[in-house]
Parts: sequence; structure tokens; C-alpha cells
Amino acid sequence: MTFRRSLLAAVFATTLAPAALTTPVMAAPKTDLIVGMAAQDVGKLDPHLAVSTIDRTVVAWLFNGLVRFKPGSMSPADIEPDLATSWDSTPDKKVWTFHLRHGVQFHGTYGEMTADDVVFSLQKAADAKRSASSGDFASFEKVEAVDPYTVRITLKTTVPSLLGIVTNYGGGFIVSKKAVEALGDKFAAAPIGTGPFAFAANTPNQSLELVAHKAYFRGAPKIEKISYRFLPSNASRDLAFQNGELDLEFGNQDQTWVDRMKKLPGSVVDVFEPGEEAILHLNQAQKPLDDLRVRQAIAYAINRPELLKFQGADVSRTPGSVIPIGNLGYIDAGLPGNDIAKAKALLAEAGFKDGLTLKVVHTQLPNMLAQMQVVQAQLKRAGINLDLQVVEHATYHQMIRQDLSAIVFYSAARFPVADVYLSQFYHSRSTVKTPTAVANFSHCTAADAEIDAARTEPDAAKQIALWETAQKKIVAQMCSVPLIETLQAWVHKDSLDYGYTLKGSLSLGPLITETTHFK
Amino acid sequence: MIIYIARRLLAAIPTLWAVLTLVFVLVRIVPGDPAIAILGDRATPAAVAALQQKLGLDRPIWTQYVDFLAQSARGDFGTSMVTNRPILADVGAVIPHTIDLTIAAMLIGVFVGIPAGVYAALHRNRWIDVLARMLSLIGLSFPVFVSGIFLLLAFALHWRIFPVIGNANLADPADRLLKLVLPAATLGLVMAAYITRVTRSAMLGVLGEDYMRTARAKGVPWKRVVWRHGLRNAGLPVVTVVGLYVGILIGNSVLTEIVFNRPGLGKIIVGALNQRDYTMLQGLMVIYCFLIVVVNLITDLTYGFIDPRVKQA
Repeated sequence: MTFRRSLLAAVFATTLAPAALTTPVMAAPKTDLIVGMAAQDVGKLDPHLAVSTIDRTVVAWLFNGLVRFKPGSMSPADIEPDLATSWDSTPDKKVWTFHLRHGVQFHGTYGEMTADDVVFSLQKAADAKRSASSGDFASFEKVEAVDPYTVRITLKTTVPSLLGIVTNYGGGFIVSKKAVEALGDKFAAAPIGTGPFAFAANTPNQSLELVAHKAYFRGAPKIEKISYRFLPSNASRDLAFQNGELDLEFGNQDQTWVDRMKKLPGSVVDVFEPGEEAILHLNQAQKPLDDLRVRQAIAYAINRPELLKFQGADVSRTPGSVIPIGNLGYIDAGLPGNDIAKAKALLAEAGFKDGLTLKVVHTQLPNMLAQMQVVQAQLKRAGINLDLQVVEHATYHQMIRQDLSAIVFYSAARFPVADVYLSQFYHSRSTVKTPTAVANFSHCTAADAEIDAARTEPDAAKQIALWETAQKKIVAQMCSVPLIETLQAWVHKDSLDYGYTLKGSLSLGPLITETTHFK
Repeated sequence: MIIYIARRLLAAIPTLWAVLTLVFVLVRIVPGDPAIAILGDRATPAAVAALQQKLGLDRPIWTQYVDFLAQSARGDFGTSMVTNRPILADVGAVIPHTIDLTIAAMLIGVFVGIPAGVYAALHRNRWIDVLARMLSLIGLSFPVFVSGIFLLLAFALHWRIFPVIGNANLADPADRLLKLVLPAATLGLVMAAYITRVTRSAMLGVLGEDYMRTARAKGVPWKRVVWRHGLRNAGLPVVTVVGLYVGILIGNSVLTEIVFNRPGLGKIIVGALNQRDYTMLQGLMVIYCFLIVVVNLITDLTYGFIDPRVKQA
């Protein structure tokens, strides 16, 4: 045998022969999921302290609530049992009793979930020292364990959606009492829940590793491992997805990105709820915005279709009210359309014939900055100059809470019931720089009475009518100018099947459930 | 030598103290409340106040300062305000990646830049010189986030030789090397461009010196004259640049780390800054400062090695 033949034989033996031998065997589907997230690292994985999209996305894979949004949905109409199998309430809706599922196991060796864990979790979520969602629990009087599988919640006043508070979102997640007490502050780095996936390891700045919770009460997950990679650069994260190194990726909320990713073979772009509504909050405590005519001029100067064209029709939509589309209680509140002549006339009437300049603090986050620059150009057409003071994002958050900006551009999504958005952004109790401040940057007082009345209104139809009136009053007082709603955008390989149809996710990322698998 | 090193280390203490103080003041005068950054936009003022108390941010500033200095002196950097993880553990997990990248980039910079600079000087105004100057200009003109993406497009996406995600498994030397090539090339070639120019300029300065002519006249081979007599005498500015550049590499590797998805000190510091993680920022700055002091010390020791007159002085 010549040297060349020997070489060919060796090559065949080492490469082709094993391939030939393995060809008839069907390859098993992949069971490890690699997710690329725009992050430097995770922050807090204690679900009651998880506030960033990075943390919330993962926490939703690790924990359950008493009830949950049906996977793929974030409509309050789709709330279904989770850790509780059933619930009932007194006619006045002030006392709620939840009957817990038997045999639900926490991750690791933390045993069965009982009423004690639920009581502990809800009390922790209501405690401002241990929770970022404590405000949601202000109406809670007490939470008590009736027996190991029954929990009773007593409210001081009725709330618009008690189920919304105890769902798989924010303060509604149930933690292991034993784990929190044993781990202390370390719980936020290595959490213990009941969800389909359990914390395995975190390599700082690199990735978070999760493993399937084999004893998950809905059955062992088909995905065995999740590697949640921290990849802050959008460009290189996209390249990694394109190169097949990621199965699922956090995307950009813009049309160019969607169009580019759609063209990649084997990729599926997910665009889903919630829509984050970008709104200009007009600070009525500052001159000249205390003049309704100036605020109306700003509203008439805004061209929403132009903003939609800028952001992209696939990932955004035009809002119709001061709360996002799809919220329970949302109506088309009749927002003013674009009319530059009318805007100029209103300004002249208010004594600003030659236009005016407003000092505005704004973030340097690229997406928000780009949108604000479009707004700046639109207002300029009406003679309104925005003197943008662009600062780093954390600085922006602090400055707008110190009431330092004439206009606050704010983009947010909340639990989809009108009360939440209305209370946090438009009730005088939430006005910035007050002891009960949340996010009322406009100092709006237009609809306090309706918002309060709706909170305790037992009749659902009347409650919705009150929310509708509140929206109309806020629009009439022009506390804010809604601009655009931007949806969540991710991309996944077409071989990945979520196990449900993804239309919405309150965690802002796709839920990975026990049914998620590779085809 | 030991006394010299000890003296230099002792002299670094006031520098470290000044840097610590500056860092402490700077992270606090930058607007942005860590409690708001941690709790998000739904947090009530009560929750923000409770967290500020827990983090010790409500204590008098001088108390915080004294505690910080005492902890730093003990080498105790505490835990991150955001993740509650020990700072040294986080730093320890990424520092091998930073060291890998810094050393590899430095080696590329030195082993490409010095010969290129010497050859360019020896062939002044000929095509080798013109080419070296042109390439070094290109190297200096390209920001790493542009050259990095080009390298990824070519070697990861088109030829599929290297992966896009560069977080290497430290226990696997092959993986470590594979994921180091592109980022090290990106940073190293910029450094090489810089060193080429400095070496060329320094060599041009010594090539016409009397001792070079004398060495040649004595019959010393030209290669030996250039590399032993020429380069050694032109070495001081080159070593200074390398020393300075290594310091810059440690600090400036952040863009490379982000583009190549590599963990590293730069990435941690950006995250800590965004989240106003005071304790993490302070700890990282102390570590950075210490590394710079060590690099400067090594540079100074190298001076003595190249030119014995420096040691005697």
C-alpha cells in the first residue's frame, strides 16, 4: 500500500467511518438551552427585589405565584391556578381564601411548600425593607395560615385585582421560608423557588446556569439546562445568534433589527406584549407648563404616525390613551392629533408668539434618546425648543425624581389593570418629591377622585366606567402626552418550541416552562 | 534590589491612599442613588429609605470614609451592594481573563511592534518603512469596537474558525487559547502600531551615534550592533511606552471585552458604574490602582536592567 493510500485509509477511518456508523441513529433533541441577554450580570434574583428585565426574565423561570398568567398571555382574563388550586372570597371581596396544591416541592432539599411559606412570602413582599413591590400590598391587613394548605388574606380595603397581586409577577412570587432564613442576604444570589428550573451556578460577568427541577409539580421539564449568558453588545450578541451559539436572544425594539433577524435562516422573531408606553409627562409645577394652552400646544405638535414610522410598525403601535392598550379599563381617550398651526396659535394665545425653550433632563440610553430626538424635532416645528440635558441613566432617574425636569420622557409597562398605571403616574399621592412618591412627574391631580373610587368599587362595570372617566379627565388636563407603545422583541431558533403561543409575558422575556423543548 | 522594591512599594502607599480618597469622593458626587438603581422605578420612598439604611448610605459621610479606609487596609473589600456577592470572589472569577488578555496583547504588541519599528528605522524612507508607518497609522486609527467586529465577521462568521462568545473555560487551556486569539489580536495590533512608531523614532535617534559606528568599525556583526547596542540604547522610551500601555490595556480592555463577550475587570466596572454599586467600584479601583503600581514598578526595574546607570541613581 502506498503512502497516499495509507493516508486516505487513515482519514477515512478517523472521519468518515464513525459518521457512517452513526448516521442511521436518530440524534436526540437538544436539551440544553442557551440564552443571550443584554446584560453585564444578574442583579438580584430574590423575586421581590428583581426589578430589571435581566432579573425578571429569569425569576419567572424559577418561581411560581398562587395564581399565574397562562403561559404566553398577560391578560388578566387568562389568570389560572398555579400554587393554589382554587380560591374564594367574601361578597365584599375583603377576605380571600386560597387552597394550596399538595406536594409542591421547593428546589434542592427545602422540602414541600406549605401555607407557612406563602404567608412568609407575602409578608416579605409587603415589607419595604425586603421588597421593591411593597407598594402593591398597601391594602393588605393580614395574611394567615388557616392550615398547612390554606391561606387567608384579609384586606383593609378592596383592591381592583387581588389576583393580580398574587400572580407570578413582582411580589406575588412564593419563596421558601426555610431558604430565606437560612441563606439570608445570599438568597438573592442563589434563590430557592418551586419553578420548573433551579439555580445551579452564577459565574460573574459570564453566565447564570439553571438546571431542570425534576420534582416540578407540573412534571419534569424537557429542557435540562439553561445557560443564561450575559452579552451586553447588541452587535456581537446578534453575531453569536447568527453563528448558532445561542438558541434564544434578547433583541432590539426596532424595525431594522426585526427585518434583519427575520432574514436569518432558521430564526423566528417574537414580538409580544406588554407594550411599553412612552409618554411625555408635562410638569405643571413649572412655568410655563402650568398653562393648559402650552401643554395643549405640545400635544398638538406631536406627530405619532411619524414616531411609529421611525420605530417600526412591527415592534410599535400608536397609543390611544394615557395608559397602555390592553390594560383592563383602557379606552381610546381621544388624544389630540398633529396640528402645528393649532399648536402655534395656542402658544401665541399663551403669550409665546416667538416660541419657548424648555429644559429637559433625559437619559443617554440609545433607544430612549433617539425617540426623544424625534420628539425634539417635532416640537421645534411648533416653536418649542427642548434644551436636552442628556445624562447617564441612573442620574436621569435620580434627577427626574427630584422634580428637576420640565418634561419627563418615561417609558414603562405595568400590571395590565388601569388602576396600576393611573395610581402610579397620575394620582396626586404619587407626585414626585412627596413622602408617598412613585412616578407622578406631571403633578397631575385631574382624576384623584375617580382613581380612588374605582379602587374600592365592587361593581366591575362601574369600576371600568370610573377608569374611563379618569383617562378622559387626564387627557383634558393634558397631564401627559402619549407618544408610542413599543413591544418586546426576542428571536429564537425555529427548532425551539416554547410549548405555548407567545403573545405576552409580564416578565418581559419568554417563559421557559416544563413543556419547552427542541424539536 | 529587595530594598529598592520595598522602598517603591512603600512609596506607593500615599498614591493608593490618594486614589482611594478620590474614588470614595467621586462615586458619591456622581448623581444617581444606588437604592433607586437597585429597587427600580416602582419602589416607594419607604423602600428606598430602608435600603439606604441597610446599605449604610444614611450614615455620616466621614464614618463611611473611615470604614472604607479601614476595610481597604485589611484587604476586605466587602460585598457588592447589588448582588451581595463578595467583591473579591467576583474579581477573582474574572481576573484570569483580564490577565490573559493583557499579557497576550502585550506580547503581540512587543513582538510585532519592536521588530517592525527596528526594520522601519533601518530602512528609513524605503518601502518597508513606508509600509510599517502606513500599517501603524491604520492600526491606531481603527477603534477596537470596529476592528473587533470586522475580525468577528471574518473569522467567526465567515470562516468559522473562532467562536463569537469568548467566555473561555479557564480549566481548558485549548478553549482558553482559542477564545483569546481574536481579542488579543484586536488589542495587540493597536499596541503594536504604537510601539512600532516609538521604536522607529528611538532607533533613528541612536543609529547615527558614535558608539554604533565604533562597534561596526571594531568588526561587530551588523545584526549584533543593531539588536544589542542600538536597541538596548533605544529601549528606555520603548519600555516606558510598553509600561504605560499595559496600564492602559488593563483599563481600556472594556470595549474588547464587550465586543468579544469576554468577562473581565473592565466589564465589571461598567456594570458597577451603571448600577452605582459603590462598594464594587471602590474595590475595583483599589485593585486597578494596585495593578498599575505593580506595572510601574516592573517598568522601573526594567529600566535598571537595560541601563545600569538608572539602578545606580
